[in-house]
Amino acid sequence: MKYSFSHFFIPQEKNNHRASLLKSHFLLLLIAFYLLNQSVIKFISLVKPGILGYSSEITAQKVLEKTNAERQKNGLPELQYNSVLSESATKKAQDMFTSNYWAHTSPNGTTPWDFFKSVGYKYSVAGENLARDFYDTDSLMKAWMDSPTHRENIVNSKYQEIGIGVVNGILGGVKTTLVVQHFGTPLNAIATKNTKETKPVVTSSLAQATPVPQSVPETKVLSETKIKYISPLALNKIIGLIMFILIIGVLFVDGYLTLKNNVHRFTGSTVGHIGFLLVILLFMLVSQQGAIF
Amino acid sequence: MIIPKEVRQKPLEYILLGIVFLTGLILYLFAGFDPHGRRLVVYGLAACYFFWSLLHHYKRGDLHLSIVVEYLVIALFGIALLTFSLF
Repeated sequence: MKYSFSHFFIPQEKNNHRASLLKSHFLLLLIAFYLLNQSVIKFISLVKPGILGYSSEITAQKVLEKTNAERQKNGLPELQYNSVLSESATKKAQDMFTSNYWAHTSPNGTTPWDFFKSVGYKYSVAGENLARDFYDTDSLMKAWMDSPTHRENIVNSKYQEIGIGVVNGILGGVKTTLVVQHFGTPLNAIATKNTKETKPVVTSSLAQATPVPQSVPETKVLSETKIKYISPLALNKIIGLIMFILIIGVLFVDGYLTLKNNVHRFTGSTVGHIGFLLVILLFMLVSQQGAIF
Repeated sequence: MIIPKEVRQKPLEYILLGIVFLTGLILYLFAGFDPHGRRLVVYGLAACYFFWSLLHHYKRGDLHLSIVVEYLVIALFGIALLTFSLF
């Protein structure tokens, strides 16, 4: 048994001094296996929506705190939590789940401002930030702060209030958490200052949490279930990482034994392959979770 | 530290390859959350690696079809696993 499998990993006379796993046809087979796995995951998402996905630990309170912290770092006043704005943010998230879309404007043309209006929030300036598929608040905040347009909303001095919607549901067959931030400054607040009214802007930002009289709502759940979710993103990443590590490991062994035994072969550069795959592996490791809009 | 013979023989070519990898890494980090930008960096890096291999083996005098196919498959392996895992 040991002998029959060793040729996959160790260069020897039997495999012409090149580990079989590193030969082009075996690598193509591995790629095919990976693509097949991807197709199975997508198929499961279609036929059993909600089986795949994950529960995030993000809460509106945490998002509020982190947002305020970012504003403080930039010398800006904290945003006031507004439950009416949170209602519009939650409605927006629920609408994305119900109508199955991921955008500022819905397929039927509903804009973020329609949600502000639907809850009776009259604004002079307003903005919206969206995020999905994040597991924790720190990663979510980092993503927003790394994006110039989203950051501009978070550290925007024009905004006075914020509402946050954190809703769990099924989007595109996969269970996920949508985070919506609605920023605004009430119309009367500007009128009091006799300031010229400005048009609403679509951007992304977070609001800060000051000690507020209103309580921040818990995460809403559109579909209750006891299932332990499997994240398709995490699953893909784990399988990809295993395959990368396997091939890089075999390349190291192959390179070491070839060097040690002073074998002359007619193949590509082992050092180059290791370098290339290590860089791709690094890309995979540094890639953050989730998406923002 | 053991430096493989192939690197000792052509140090400049491997320094060039190192610069290509480092540039790719910096550009990927710079792309941040832009999936389109990330994809372009990955495709660009794989293309650069492939062209480096052509140059490397041409200068060594062993540029043959089986080696070209090997580099193509390695580049495809990297692209496929990364793009389908993340985008």
